[in-house]
Amino acid sequence: MSLIHTENLTKIYGSGETAVTALDHVSIKVKEGEFVAVMGPSGCGKSTLLHLLGGLDSSSAGKVVIDGTSLAEMKDDDLTKLRRQKIGFVFQFYNLIPVLTAVENASLPITLDGVRPAEARKRAAEWLERFELGERLNNRPDQLSGGQQQRVAVARALVAEPALILADEPTGNLDTRSGDEIASLLREVTKKYGRTVIMVTHDPRIAAYADRIIFLKDGKVIDETILEKKNGKNADLLAGKMKEIGD
Amino acid sequence: MSVRHTILGLLAHKPRHGYELRAAFEALVGGDRNWDLKPAQIYTTLDRLEDAGLVACTSDLGEGQEPSRRIYALTPPGKAALQEWYAEGVSPDHQRDEFFLKLLTGMVSGEADPARLIQTQRAHLFRELHAATTLRDSYDPHTEMAQILLLDKVTMHLEADLRWLEMTELRLDEVKGQPLPEPEIRRRGRPPKGDKGSTYPPPKPT
Repeated sequence: MSLIHTENLTKIYGSGETAVTALDHVSIKVKEGEFVAVMGPSGCGKSTLLHLLGGLDSSSAGKVVIDGTSLAEMKDDDLTKLRRQKIGFVFQFYNLIPVLTAVENASLPITLDGVRPAEARKRAAEWLERFELGERLNNRPDQLSGGQQQRVAVARALVAEPALILADEPTGNLDTRSGDEIASLLREVTKKYGRTVIMVTHDPRIAAYADRIIFLKDGKVIDETILEKKNGKNADLLAGKMKEIGD
Repeated sequence: MSVRHTILGLLAHKPRHGYELRAAFEALVGGDRNWDLKPAQIYTTLDRLEDAGLVACTSDLGEGQEPSRRIYALTPPGKAALQEWYAEGVSPDHQRDEFFLKLLTGMVSGEADPARLIQTQRAHLFRELHAATTLRDSYDPHTEMAQILLLDKVTMHLEADLRWLEMTELRLDEVKGQPLPEPEIRRRGRPPKGDKGSTYPPPKPT
């Protein structure tokens, strides 16, 4: 079953002669538990696609359907509720609050949303333990490595138990090893915990962790690659494709 | 923001013409799209620095012998002023936040829906975030690391702003239920009894 799909999704910025088509009739389907990477050269529309999937911007034509509901038909309040309950965001930088511990940072979204602190702490600790940070619950961000901080940020995105994680260049600020660690963690989030992850990245090595890569160029889907087996050659394959497209 | 000290710093590197200074400043901040320093501001600043004795100016004759161009150089007092600048810390200006003012005034006046304001701002920040990421990717880490670091800073702040919006959205109902910050009005004479202050939303006139 598809968790999220788009039908002829189109986004045009501006109007008349200065109009720019950022997305051009994009129809994609992402299944529950799937790990999808979106790649393409700068200005290909990958960020716009992520915005529209997250209900951050409205489309010019076509639609986004999450869990059977079309976003365009939702009121602001419902959209806010949907984003809070169904979507978690992971960014390039982790932006944890320096004076709070790992478990406090990870539990913050649900604490603010009214979950009792003890319960929020318990749920956050569970995610952190799954991410091998069980020994680090009470460490502050400055006592954690970059990779560990990003893992706390992923736990924070998951603490409200969203079905969908949207990751925006999640390894953009990490060294190669920590980048691999986060990409493989996001893979685990889909395979072991059944969440759906859609990740924008420009890095073929990171994209190689996904089940499927959607290539965008000039606002259109120009290619889709399903990676059957995880092996060292996938990254090269993707790098080759990016070169073909003209990065 | 100290354009003045940046100019002193650039002149400490080497003496320059006003025009060269502007170009050097622009290169430093990553283009006039980021910070468009007008020539007028450069020249007024240079005049003031010259009056204060922090820079000295000599005229050289251009290629065609005229008109003469003015070259500015740092003086010893200028160097001392620059050292004072380096000795101090810099406070970021996060508390002057235009969006915060928009949110609060929109809420009190009833002219804007706070949830909508947050939504609009979030979409705006996301677009800025992607512009910063794209620009960052266009720099070469082997020769342009300084620009990359500046854009990392931009990205970090934008992402923090996005997180802050998320928190604010979650706590909006609490803000709505609380009295808004108001100036303390010092009344003459005896304070009236039972003054509760104002609340949001303001009571309807009866």
